[in-house]
Amino acid sequence: MIEARHVTKKFKRVRAVDDLSFDLQAGGSLALWGSNGAGKTTLIRCLLGVFPAKGTIRLNGIDVSKKGKHARAMIGYVPQELAFHDDAKLGSAIRFFAKLRRVDVRQAAQSLALVGLSGHESKRVRDLSGGMKQRLALAIALIADPPIIVLDEPTSNLDSSGRGEVVDTLLRLRKQGKTMIFASHRPDEVITLADQVLVMEQGRLVQQTTPEVLWPSRSSIRSLRLFIEQGDEHHAAEILREGGFAVNHANIGLTVAIEQHRKAEPMNHLAARGIIVRDFELLRDVQQDDEPEHPVRTEPMSEVLR
Amino acid sequence: MRLPVISILATLMLTVPCAAGAPASEIQRLIDEATPGSVIEPSPGIYEGSLRITKSITLDGQGKVTIDAGGEGSVIEIAAEHVTLRGLIITGSDKSVSGESAGIKANTGPVTIENNRITDVYFGIDLKQSPGSIIRNNTIIGKELELGRRGDGIRLWWSHACIIEHNTILNSRDMVFWYSEDLMIQNNAVRESRYGLHFMYSHNTTVRENHLTGNSVGIYLMYSNSIHLLENQIDNNRGTSGYGIGLKDCDDIKVVSNLLAANRVGIYIDNSPSSADSTGLIHANKIAFNEVGLLATPNTHDNTIYDNGFIENEEQVSVHGGGQLFLNQFAGPDRGNFWSDYNGFDRDHDGLGEFAYEPRSLFRTMLAREPNLRLFVHSPAQQAIELTARAFPELDPDPMLSDPKPLVLPPRFELDTIEAGPGGFRMGILSIGLILSSLFVMIRLTVEREISAHPGAPRHD
Amino acid sequence: MSTINLNGTAHHPRNQSTATVAYLSFARSIMLIARREFRDALSSKWFLLYTIAFTTLAIGVSFMSLAGSGEHGFAGFGKTAAGLLNLIMLVVPLMALTAGAGTIAGERERGTLLYLLAQPLSRTELLLGKYVGLAIALICSLCIGFGLSAGLLAWRAGGVGAGSFLMLVVFTSVLALSMLALGVLISVQSRRAGVATGIALFVWLGLVFLSDLGLMAGTLLFKLRVQEVFALAIINPLQAFKMNVIINLNASLDVLGPVGMYASQEYGATLPWLLTGVIVLWCVLPLSIATLIFRKRGGI
Repeated sequence: MIEARHVTKKFKRVRAVDDLSFDLQAGGSLALWGSNGAGKTTLIRCLLGVFPAKGTIRLNGIDVSKKGKHARAMIGYVPQELAFHDDAKLGSAIRFFAKLRRVDVRQAAQSLALVGLSGHESKRVRDLSGGMKQRLALAIALIADPPIIVLDEPTSNLDSSGRGEVVDTLLRLRKQGKTMIFASHRPDEVITLADQVLVMEQGRLVQQTTPEVLWPSRSSIRSLRLFIEQGDEHHAAEILREGGFAVNHANIGLTVAIEQHRKAEPMNHLAARGIIVRDFELLRDVQQDDEPEHPVRTEPMSEVLR
Repeated sequence: MRLPVISILATLMLTVPCAAGAPASEIQRLIDEATPGSVIEPSPGIYEGSLRITKSITLDGQGKVTIDAGGEGSVIEIAAEHVTLRGLIITGSDKSVSGESAGIKANTGPVTIENNRITDVYFGIDLKQSPGSIIRNNTIIGKELELGRRGDGIRLWWSHACIIEHNTILNSRDMVFWYSEDLMIQNNAVRESRYGLHFMYSHNTTVRENHLTGNSVGIYLMYSNSIHLLENQIDNNRGTSGYGIGLKDCDDIKVVSNLLAANRVGIYIDNSPSSADSTGLIHANKIAFNEVGLLATPNTHDNTIYDNGFIENEEQVSVHGGGQLFLNQFAGPDRGNFWSDYNGFDRDHDGLGEFAYEPRSLFRTMLAREPNLRLFVHSPAQQAIELTARAFPELDPDPMLSDPKPLVLPPRFELDTIEAGPGGFRMGILSIGLILSSLFVMIRLTVEREISAHPGAPRHD
Repeated sequence: MSTINLNGTAHHPRNQSTATVAYLSFARSIMLIARREFRDALSSKWFLLYTIAFTTLAIGVSFMSLAGSGEHGFAGFGKTAAGLLNLIMLVVPLMALTAGAGTIAGERERGTLLYLLAQPLSRTELLLGKYVGLAIALICSLCIGFGLSAGLLAWRAGGVGAGSFLMLVVFTSVLALSMLALGVLISVQSRRAGVATGIALFVWLGLVFLSDLGLMAGTLLFKLRVQEVFALAIINPLQAFKMNVIINLNASLDVLGPVGMYASQEYGATLPWLLTGVIVLWCVLPLSIATLIFRKRGGI
């Protein structure tokens, strides 16, 4: 269904996506895992044909760079945060996209019902809550029942209840057999929705694996930040990956997603290979691995996500 | 006319056939056989060929006799005094420039030519050494050739004391007067020709109530003195020079009570008066909506210009090649001119502005120096230049003239007859149409139909 | 272009519901975007402002010029036409350039461009759709202004004929289209709406004042010949527009002095077409370049 070969996208001198290849079967679900700046969003935009990239991306055999419009007709796209004209009313916005995809406007109503937005048609986009906006984005993505859904951190701006709703909807779509690619920070989402994970770092594919390998147990995943001597960080990340840990080489330290009851294992793994962990912290929320200024070391276990 | 010979007339009526396409020689025979002073009235019809009149007769077609020379030579040549041509339709002279053929040609005066219709000819009426002639109420229509290849509608050559009135000339070159004095030229209309009236070395003439419109130039006087231009209506003369009235090296010219509208240049003065002791008068004319109201060469002097209305000319006065017009008086003894762009006031209610009219325009000054810059009129850049001149007074040029007693209200004019276009109704329709159609588009594109009405287009399952 | 039938691709077995993506025609996409753009424009402040400003000025100019000529019952080329011409050359390029400049750059700045580009929509469709929508909005705005001032002229029964006035509306619309295209070109190149507007203002200044003043200086300094002045002048679409309007009102360019007469004599009846060609070129060329840049450069 999706076939990416040597995809490379440079911004000036920075390679945002660097020689990345992967395949995804129809009905499969692929998570893009990586820290901010790993190139997830750029890769998604390349998939959509919004960024021209070197290499080839084919969706169902259609080359995105040559027939972008046809390729995009197969994709429902959900951005991180819906950016649509704020003055537009919800109803007219969705009708616009229905017409854009040449589906009956009745489909728009159905699509809204699917995400639970029926009855809000006369609200303006600017007055919607974050969750509603995201559900609207989902409704727009689903309007023409496209075979592929592409989501760029669809829950990052949502609170936990909103997040749950979106994940539930996506799970339903998954069961309907949609092919899905999504970027995520959240191990729980990856575990729930993905059957494959691409681990990306600085634009490169560092590991193509499954959630089960990264997180054998589906419960109690926490983010652990390890502080190691600067020069060793890269090496340490590789060692951890080889050991089957889900690692992000973030700006500061290494972030490891780890089950609640195995938190010491990465440190031991590193120690056994001669790398000393200077310090560690347990992040309050996996989402905040890019905000190390406010680490919360101790947290009640009850906050663990579903 | 003095000796109408009824019996001869009766005979003629019998002998001339009525059929179309008869040879003109039949009329020629009548002329040759007629006694001087007789009146010949050919039967109505078309006669092919040309005529030569060698005795003092009257040829009267009563509007029903056509003489068609078929494109060879002149149609009627007059070689006798006291010939009258009346009520003829004259057509088809040779049209080559070298032949100087004409509808009617006369070499001896005086002749009377009236009520004829002359078409498809090189010259219309060409009189040489025919003083005392009368040309009245003729219609002359030239061919629509380029200006340079046309002949003159009426030409006088060494023919003094002629009367030329109530003629209409269309599509010809000029109505031109060479070396002909003491003429009376009135109530003629010249349209779509080169020079409406053209004077060459022809003096002492009154030109009154003529209507000259759509020509290259309305009236052009050259080297002609003591001409009185009175109550002529001269509009839309917009050829290469495009003068309403042009004066070149003429002394003692009076331009009074004319209407000069929508010409390129209302009045053009080139070295007139040319003699040191002569003067010119431009008085009580309405000079309106021309590109330039009055254009004069800088050496122009001793013209008295007053009681005129300079109304909404793009440029009221301009000096050809730059300079000033201080050698002329833009005011009479007690009053000046009305200038529509005068922005003074009349405090003491004497009808005169409290300070002089002294137009200055940096752009106009530049224009006078470089005529090509006229391309930039009607553009914001022109305004920018004027504004700059206002802001920096050192850039502001000297005024080109001074009218010390400008009128604050336009004078009443003898001629003020051109009506506004009847555009009101159509303009109203246009107005409503424009507004309604834009509203329609707005509503049509804004109001959304709730359910798409494109059958077949949505294919979704 | 054909229907993409996801079922028909045999080597990609699928297990989901059958979905047929309809043929997404070029024209319909453009009209859809155009409609949205038009609606956005109508509800925006600039549209209201421009319409009110243009209408007020047009009526004002008509009124003031009628005050002079109406009482005398005659107008030649007339102050009305001259005044309107001046106003149009000043205001219409400003309206169209800034409207065009805001369009893509604005979406880019608000982040809405990405979302549109992620839809089954080609960049050409998006750009042309926006252009068409704005063009219709601008022309509507102009028609309201012209319509009301035509109403005033009709009421006061003066000046220019209805046919000439209609042609003035047509020529002005074409001018607005070309300036809009130029604005869109600026917009495509700009990251931020503010920058785009700034560039648009500079281009406006250049077209309305600087190029004419420069050419005047050139004419004075180098004593350019008429054909040179003419050739240089008509490069500026505003000059071409002005000449076209004057020919339409006047049948000849003699109002514009030796250069105008040269043009009238040299080109005769083809002159209006030549001038229209210049303006249309100013419309097609920037729009094509904008489309090419927008397509080739990619990104958002």
